[in-house]
Amino acid sequence: MTPETILDAETKTLWLDMFRKLVRIRHFERSAFELYTAGKLPGFMHISIGQEATAVGACSALRPDDYMTSTHRGHGDTIAKGVSVEGAMAELFGRVTGVCRAKGGSMHIADFSQNVLGANGIVAAGAPIAVGAGLSAKKRGTDQVVLCFFGDGALASGPIHESMNCAALWKLPVIFLRQNNQYAESTPRTDYQGIPDVVEWAKGYGISAVRVDGNDVLAVYRAVKEAAARARRGEGPSFIESETYRWYGHNIGDPGTWRPKEEIQAWKAKDPIPRFRKVILENGAATDADLDAIEAEEEARLQAAIEAAEAAPKPKPGTALEDVYVDPDLGAQAIQGVRP
Amino acid sequence: MTTREIMYREAIRDAQREEMLRDPTVFLIGEDLRDPWGGTYKATQNLSTEFGNERVLNTPICEETIIGASLGAALTGLRPVAELMYFDFVMRSMDAVVNQVAKVRYMSGGQVKVPLVIRTQGGGGRSSAAQHGNSLEAWICHVPGLFVAMPSTPYDAKGLLKTAIRMDDPVFFIEHKLLYMTKGPVPDEEYTIPFGVADVKRKGDDVTIVATSRMVLFALEAAAELEKEGISAEVIDPRTLVPLDEATILESVHKTNRLVVVNEGVERCGWAAEVAALVQKKGFGDLDAPIERVCTRNVPLPFQPDLENYVLPSVADIVRAAKYTLGKVE
Repeated sequence: MTPETILDAETKTLWLDMFRKLVRIRHFERSAFELYTAGKLPGFMHISIGQEATAVGACSALRPDDYMTSTHRGHGDTIAKGVSVEGAMAELFGRVTGVCRAKGGSMHIADFSQNVLGANGIVAAGAPIAVGAGLSAKKRGTDQVVLCFFGDGALASGPIHESMNCAALWKLPVIFLRQNNQYAESTPRTDYQGIPDVVEWAKGYGISAVRVDGNDVLAVYRAVKEAAARARRGEGPSFIESETYRWYGHNIGDPGTWRPKEEIQAWKAKDPIPRFRKVILENGAATDADLDAIEAEEEARLQAAIEAAEAAPKPKPGTALEDVYVDPDLGAQAIQGVRP
Repeated sequence: MTTREIMYREAIRDAQREEMLRDPTVFLIGEDLRDPWGGTYKATQNLSTEFGNERVLNTPICEETIIGASLGAALTGLRPVAELMYFDFVMRSMDAVVNQVAKVRYMSGGQVKVPLVIRTQGGGGRSSAAQHGNSLEAWICHVPGLFVAMPSTPYDAKGLLKTAIRMDDPVFFIEHKLLYMTKGPVPDEEYTIPFGVADVKRKGDDVTIVATSRMVLFALEAAAELEKEGISAEVIDPRTLVPLDEATILESVHKTNRLVVVNEGVERCGWAAEVAALVQKKGFGDLDAPIERVCTRNVPLPFQPDLENYVLPSVADIVRAAKYTLGKVE
């Protein structure tokens, strides 16, 4: 990590905001895991602990009006882009106050007020949507960019190829950010990818490509900032390989213990949060007490969010028939069945 | 009202043109749409010349991204009309159609509108064989979150497509390759046709024939044959399969007491089964005979014309089915 030499007020604010979001996501994911294990949350979920720096660094480099698509492991990404922990937690609980009114759940957190076009349960499916949002920004003459998160395993999937080709062809403002957490579910790179260096592979599309330390929030921030600037200048898409690690297994229920202990330990030693705390302190951006206070604030906010979510009403079963169509009459006509 | 005779493909083209003139957020996206080619079935002819390549976007061969990108554009302020060159190619985009387009509004708790039309063409009858002649409307109707239109005439095609482009929900719009060259009267004045309203293409009293797309033409021919034998058949074109105008079908069966459902998809788990299930439930007391289905046989579509004609529904099949409901065939 390169210490910043000049720290203006703006940078300080940015850093503390990023620290806050790292902590926010860590708390959220820990709590989600515990609540799920305690049997309080339905369904299943994918925890992103260990990958927070990639989510926060990337989203902090965007403007609020930029778009983002994420993956099945999307809690951190969507919170980093602006989804509230209150809305996300209530969604996990399946309450009416959920950001998606309890219709989506863990894998489908979307918040169009934050231009979060959605996490996605289908690997690589966000990429074509990101291409469309980029096409739209270009057609509408805005300088919005689209951040497309996808996992390492998605690289082998057809839509990534199609999307990178189209984005390069049409010079779209799309940032393809591969969150390489080292395993496609349980499959390592050597079992799904012939070319060892994915940066070289991405360049083959005529796309500017770099690799970053995905556990270094500032490195991710800089790479995305640069890619976004290039996109806003009309210079087209970028590819960023962000190397990181998920501490937990693929999903809750998978303890992840099939991976070498030493590997897990080595990555935990690269925990992005203490690393960034150290940088902040070394650069005099804040004191330990300041950062402890941020942690405590986020902890308290999350506890309140959990309590509020738990206390919120569950949706009435009949609301399962709402939100399918915009048109109320045709929608009702389409939904009606013959059940007595 | 003055009318002129135009081809079905011209009706499709004109609907897109008028909506592009009306709304600058409408754009076309798909394979080989631009002039001088103008679409594989010429349903976008002259549009890139008139509106420019920005509004008529030719894509690489990448159906999943055509549909996924259309969705991304629809979610961010535009109104795309995507073309899948063949219905068969929808399989290459099925995740985008089913898991993304149809569900994003629902999964987000109703946060968004999805003003997106997916046009395609299906159907057999010209030796297109098993990968270019599928009629997969039952698959699409099976997906909650989509509306499905399937017009049989130039008039219906134009009016329904204009409506579809203005809707804020995703519409899957199914044309037929052997209808593109058929002609029919279309008003010079602007008009639209609402979804969920069937059209009675021929009035009759003895048997109701519900048919879709090109099968409507077959059903009308069958009705003319039946008339020679003193049988009066009513032919109903639902025009949109989702939502379905149940009332028009049920009222007709209430009058005729007999129903034949004709659909070009294969019979098993097909669209005709859905209509039969509906009518046996809601019109049970009106039925004087078992409901007949006339669909494609449960095999892949063969290449050779005699083989293909053998498995596709024919006019004779419809005539026979209608007479069967009247107890006039063994």
